[in-house]
Amino acid sequence: MLKKLKSAERLFLLIKKQFPLNVSSVSKGKIFNEMQRLVNDDPESWMSAISIWKNLLELDAKKDKLSQRDANPLKRKIEENDITNPKKLKTEQMQELQESRQCQLEKQMEEETVEQGDFLTNREKSQEAFQNDVVKAVDTPDQKDLTFRVSCRCSGAIAKTFTGQEVGRVIGIALMKQYGWKADLRNPNLEIFIHLNDIYSVVGIPVFRVPLASRAYIKTAGLRSTIAWAMASLAEIKAGAFVLDPMCGLGTILLEAAKEWPDVYYVGADVSDSQLLGACDNLKAAGLQDKIELLKVSVIELPLPSESVDTIISDIPFGKKFKLGKDIKNILQEMERVLHVGGTIVLLLSEDHHKHLQDCEQSGIPLNSKGSHTDEPGIEKCLNHGEKTDLSDTVSSSSEAISQGGLDKMPPFGSLVPMECYQVSLGRTDAFIYKYRKSHSLGLLQPGSSRPRAAAQQGRRLSWDPDRAPESQGNRLP
Amino acid sequence: MKLLTHNLLSSHVRGVGPRGFPLRLQATEVRISPVEFNPDFVARMIPKLHLVEVPKGPIEGYEHDEKFLRQMHHVLLEVDVLEGTLQCPESGRLFPISRGIPNMLLSDEETET
Repeated sequence: MLKKLKSAERLFLLIKKQFPLNVSSVSKGKIFNEMQRLVNDDPESWMSAISIWKNLLELDAKKDKLSQRDANPLKRKIEENDITNPKKLKTEQMQELQESRQCQLEKQMEEETVEQGDFLTNREKSQEAFQNDVVKAVDTPDQKDLTFRVSCRCSGAIAKTFTGQEVGRVIGIALMKQYGWKADLRNPNLEIFIHLNDIYSVVGIPVFRVPLASRAYIKTAGLRSTIAWAMASLAEIKAGAFVLDPMCGLGTILLEAAKEWPDVYYVGADVSDSQLLGACDNLKAAGLQDKIELLKVSVIELPLPSESVDTIISDIPFGKKFKLGKDIKNILQEMERVLHVGGTIVLLLSEDHHKHLQDCEQSGIPLNSKGSHTDEPGIEKCLNHGEKTDLSDTVSSSSEAISQGGLDKMPPFGSLVPMECYQVSLGRTDAFIYKYRKSHSLGLLQPGSSRPRAAAQQGRRLSWDPDRAPESQGNRLP
Repeated sequence: MKLLTHNLLSSHVRGVGPRGFPLRLQATEVRISPVEFNPDFVARMIPKLHLVEVPKGPIEGYEHDEKFLRQMHHVLLEVDVLEGTLQCPESGRLFPISRGIPNMLLSDEETET
């Protein structure tokens, strides 16, 4: 169920969060003592976090058992002994449990650590209910037999004095003394994650062994799936829409979108045979080959009539892995042409593209300084914050959102009005997610490139207009 | 390539105007595969289609006509052209379809404005 958090990167059970360790004038030894206190001071939070972790582990293992039972009764014996096999947690058999509680975690673009309070106590309640249904008790490793590993990340002032390894070692030794666990660097039962920086010190247990970004239904990912999902959710995909990704590569964006918004017509296009083959494979592996069509076309020469597409979402090649033969301007122009008035474009741009677009201001639509309505609570948050989000539980790593400052730098492009702009981190590089809306028609005749719809359409006398049907009034699919 | 896609494509050969539609389809290998019927989805696709000939007879209320929707569903979504060609009706340019994917890349001369 937690795997339904589509744009979260990693999920942790919070053990401890407190103010940053003071590194300024204190001796190294004292700081080591402080770190040890992270472990020793509050055994209760440690114990409760670990028991919750164990419960989650059992829950997963039991789910596997339930699903295995349908499959092959012989296999079950072998599976029992593999309870702590990390691959189990990644299993594709996440069944829908009849849980009474709703997982109300916000889908933000920032990394999240789970707030202990509500979430975890609710989880425990539902687990009790669940355990009554389960046939066999599971062998979880006893307290003393736990093997563990500490992963430590340091940044900011503390990183100048300590390396991650040193800190990891100190914490590891403290844990061994306190709980008698054994360290196993290769394949531990339990992983302890520590993050020390200028804003906070956080200790937690990762809920999943594998990052949430690795999806069961995507065979070969191109773009990071969390970003792909985030872009798709920004795009306001409505039922019955025609959604195009004119540089789809391996199709990651379309896959994420089609999984979440299925009653939509998706088309992906690319110029590369190998990418299209990869995309084809991905579609088949995900079972989405009937929902997504592929074309071998160039983004600056789209064989589509003007104003025939509702939504365009695309990751513009940065030029590092794939060469962008054409200019970003030409690309945007062609996208603008095929887009319906009122349609949205969501693009992932590199810093270079971003600069390029800023330099070439196209003819003037005054800039919307406030983005218009947003559907997602997470995104609205980003637009309203004056500064970066504060001490709320964000372990900064992959994605951070910068607020309205970004929007001011977004120039309009012809009839494309910029709505939102987010800076995101792709690990080593930064990128920008741009969202545009087409505000008006380009006029029927543009030299060479405009192809108005077939005149025969005027003969249409269809009475039902999906855009005016009540259920599709400005709503996305639930 | 499903027929729904074929219906939404038009020729982008330079200089070709509205007569670049529809692309003439010549299929050499076709696969018919069942696709889950979603009447709502089909009904929403129908207004997007570029109908060269408007069928005579009752059009109003088509979205509730299940038989009609099932027929459209079959034609648009269950017929997959695996191999064949698309031809621009005006310029005569041929675009091959291979493994279900139409190749509509224009050569450099053709894209010359």
